[in-house]
Amino acid sequence: MKNRQFSVKVLEIHIENEEETHAFLQKHHLLFKDHLLSLHGILSERLEAYLKEQGYLFVHNQTLPQGRSKKALVEEVQEQVQQPLQEAYEQLQAQLQATCVEHAVELQALNDELRLLRQRVNTKFTVLDKMVRSGQELKIEGDLLLLNRVNSGATISTTGNLIITQVVEGALRCDGAFMMITVSPKANIVFHGVEVDNALLENKLNRIELKENEIHITPVIKKEINWEQS
Amino acid sequence: MGTVIAIISGKGGVGKTTTTANLGLGIAQAGKKCVIVDFDIGQRNLDMVIGLENRVVYDMVQVMEGECSVPQAIIKSKVSDNLHFLAASQTKDKSVLSSEKVESLLETLKQSYEFVLLDAPAGIESGFEHTIEFADAAIIVVNPEVSSIRDADRAIGILDAKSQKVKKGQEVEKSLIINRISAEMVRAGEMLRSEDILDILNIKLLGKVPEDKGVIDASNQGKPVILNKKSLAGQAYARIAKRICGQEVPLEDIENMQEGMFKKLAGIFK
Repeated sequence: MKNRQFSVKVLEIHIENEEETHAFLQKHHLLFKDHLLSLHGILSERLEAYLKEQGYLFVHNQTLPQGRSKKALVEEVQEQVQQPLQEAYEQLQAQLQATCVEHAVELQALNDELRLLRQRVNTKFTVLDKMVRSGQELKIEGDLLLLNRVNSGATISTTGNLIITQVVEGALRCDGAFMMITVSPKANIVFHGVEVDNALLENKLNRIELKENEIHITPVIKKEINWEQS
Repeated sequence: MGTVIAIISGKGGVGKTTTTANLGLGIAQAGKKCVIVDFDIGQRNLDMVIGLENRVVYDMVQVMEGECSVPQAIIKSKVSDNLHFLAASQTKDKSVLSSEKVESLLETLKQSYEFVLLDAPAGIESGFEHTIEFADAAIIVVNPEVSSIRDADRAIGILDAKSQKVKKGQEVEKSLIINRISAEMVRAGEMLRSEDILDILNIKLLGKVPEDKGVIDASNQGKPVILNKKSLAGQAYARIAKRICGQEVPLEDIENMQEGMFKKLAGIFK
């Protein structure tokens, strides 16, 4: 097979006015007689006849292939090759980003947990096994576990939680999350500034806690049942 | 080297002075040299209870101020050669006491006596603090009623905080005498039970003394009730004195003792 590549000169005309086009072609006959005419718009019989008569080569309402420069072609090829690469790249990037976000969330959760643990370790926790006698005042920063009596006339205040395993006859002031107290009919208990009714502390061990701005008292160890009496 | 025992109560009127007089005499009768010192400056009455009020020439404050020597101020009891007495000042008040003076007086007394009993004033002010400051041991006297228990509790708290012995890391031996127990009232549930008192105060029980009408008469006459061998209170004080001297005397069940006589008889005929 033999082939040759031609560069053909083309004149593209959008016909808006028959007369004007006719006049334009007549006037520039010498200039355009070797051009291929690509006509758009309405082609009248008269004009067609004129073009044939003058020996013009023409096409009507056809889209001709556009010649492009080598540079543009190279760009196009490159684009074709690069597009899937670009897509793959973007996909990877999106995936990476998603993973990063996931990790960041995880890290945040771990950090939060660590902070809580650190807080718990840093909160002072005191264990005491001594009688608190009348007139004595214990002021405790943090939590307190007291394994002995609180006698009438003594005062204990804590900023944290308070657990007392023996009878309380003195005054308690607690601002922690919860208190655990035995049956203590003589105690004066103030929890977050609210006086607690002793009659509610009827069980062997009671938990007093603050939930949604309300004081809840729940039994931890229930009343002992005396079978002999019943 | 003797032992200094402070007799404290916190509340007034529970029988500190009576207890001091009777235990002093009891210890003396058990054969130990004992001196009783009235620390209730300005309100002395131990001299009357032991019947020595007309013998007081010099008092404790004069000894501490250097106006007289310790032997000059000491009065010997008429009842027992082993019992000596040092009176409080009736004219001065407790502000004349100072730690150094109290310490040197007690050091002197400890050289010559096996037991130095200090009759503390009621309350918890400076006079009380000076009494307990250099004590080796303390006897807490309570009545079976809530106010007495709370005051005693407070007094024990101050003892544990202010005693020189505690400050040195040692412990002041504390023991409890429950005075004026009325058996009927305890049985009727109107009086605190001894177990409850011991629960609250958490110290060793030295002895229980029953309510005895003879005590007031004995004090008025200046003859401590321990001299009356028939008195239940006197017997109780004698047992306690022996325990202080280190003898093993079992605790009597005061609450059920008085009931005794008739019920026991009734029991026999059942």
